[in-house]
Amino acid sequence: MGFLQTIENLGFSQWVKQSGSLWAFPGILLMHTYGMAVLVGVIAGIDLRILGLAPAIPLSPLRKLLPIVWLAFWVNAITGSMLLMADATTKLTNPDFGIKMLFIVAAVIVQRLIQSRVFGDPDVDTRPFSSNAKMLAAASLACWLGAITAGRLLAYVGSSTGL
Amino acid sequence: MNVIYEVLSNTSHVHLLLNHVPTTAFTVALVIFVIGLGTKSDVLRKAGLAMFFVIAGVAIATYTSGSAAEAWLRGTSPMTELPPHVLSNAIHEHEDSAFWATILMGLTGFFSWLSLWQWKTVRKLRSWSLPLVTLLAFAAFVTMSRTAYLGGHISHVEIRPDVVNVHNACLALLDEETKHPGSVPNATPNCPWQTAVDDVAKTTGEPAPYTSQARAVGDFVIGHTWMWPTLETLHFVGLCLLFTTVLIVNLRLLGLIRVVPYAAVYQLLPIGMLGFAINLITGMLFFIGIPNQYNANPVFYWKIIFVLLGGLNTAYFMLADDSWRAGPGVSAPAGSRVAAASAIFIWVAVLYCGHMLPFIGNAF
Repeated sequence: MGFLQTIENLGFSQWVKQSGSLWAFPGILLMHTYGMAVLVGVIAGIDLRILGLAPAIPLSPLRKLLPIVWLAFWVNAITGSMLLMADATTKLTNPDFGIKMLFIVAAVIVQRLIQSRVFGDPDVDTRPFSSNAKMLAAASLACWLGAITAGRLLAYVGSSTGL
Repeated sequence: MNVIYEVLSNTSHVHLLLNHVPTTAFTVALVIFVIGLGTKSDVLRKAGLAMFFVIAGVAIATYTSGSAAEAWLRGTSPMTELPPHVLSNAIHEHEDSAFWATILMGLTGFFSWLSLWQWKTVRKLRSWSLPLVTLLAFAAFVTMSRTAYLGGHISHVEIRPDVVNVHNACLALLDEETKHPGSVPNATPNCPWQTAVDDVAKTTGEPAPYTSQARAVGDFVIGHTWMWPTLETLHFVGLCLLFTTVLIVNLRLLGLIRVVPYAAVYQLLPIGMLGFAINLITGMLFFIGIPNQYNANPVFYWKIIFVLLGGLNTAYFMLADDSWRAGPGVSAPAGSRVAAASAIFIWVAVLYCGHMLPFIGNAF
């Protein structure tokens, strides 16, 4: 507990939490929300395409969207860590935060598998998607839905509430 | 500029400016659409559908401004004093009617959009599309007209039936007095409207607690602890789905995945519209739950303005054909690239306003 308290007492953590500046908590959370919109938005598009929506779109050109996905992922990893520092003692001890991390780890693994197995398949645009590819896409949607839900509930569940 | 700002900062003015659109403009749209159906003119039918879609957006803005207008009329909370000629129940009746009218108009807008979308795809317009829109549009028109009539009751005492009756009775007594002087000893010397309003208020006594339907929905939202987090989670899911379409379609038009033809990414539009619908419903439930969070919140006004701009931007994509020239590997024309960049800017701004509601404004 002492370690988490130390993190929360850092000047930066205090600035995020208590400065009242729009650049602090509101701004960082805003970037986290934009990151989520881009990350989950684009991934959901790819997943839904694999599941059969918008069949006219060839999948392989969507590869070009992947750098945007990973940029958004790292934006959220960084802004998420900043928000975590400000509430280290409460959020890191909140089981809901652990659930969110499990969903995100699972989602990242699924995403890597989609990139290697589905995008990596040279015949991806000439054959119908395998049931494995569809399973991965469905799992990806489920993991991100879980991550969003657990993340939103962090403001409501546990010892400390916030936005 | 100052005059404009002053007018717009009085939410009653805003409501009075907006509230004529869902009735008058919708009438024009309905006439155009019905003539289009009769003459089988594609241009008129599409024009009617696009107008339904845009007016539905204005109807949402009108609904929210109406709540703000009531707050303005009552003064800052928790004061509940209304101007002397306004009866509280008149506002509630108007609000409930507006609630249903806005829902019907929203549905009309949604299915109008869907018809326009089907029109553009290779697939034909579904057989149920236009009949459904016609049915919804007439239902919306009738309900909205009733809303306008009830809205008139709030400050036009001269059309309120109960007040008119009292006023007429008073005039009849005066007539009697002129014809047979001295026959009506207690006749009021004259019959001003305010006296009639006061009489109505006196006979009805304290306004009976009106069970407002909109308020019942709002109380359900704030009365259950699981509602707000659930709605917020759904609002986030809807936001992601909206961004799926906004990003992929518009990045294509801006040249990122040029090998994919516009006709293909066009198939993604209903996903974005589904996300928008989820967010409109959850957002309106937030609003009806705690209207005072948004009534005097400037960030909320900006959010509504950007949503309306988003509606116009969407209407452009439903009507203009230039984007369709972007075949496989072909760059989009300049006009549609401008529209694509605007779309991304508008929805980024909508998200910004929504996020800042608690930080710049007073919501949570």
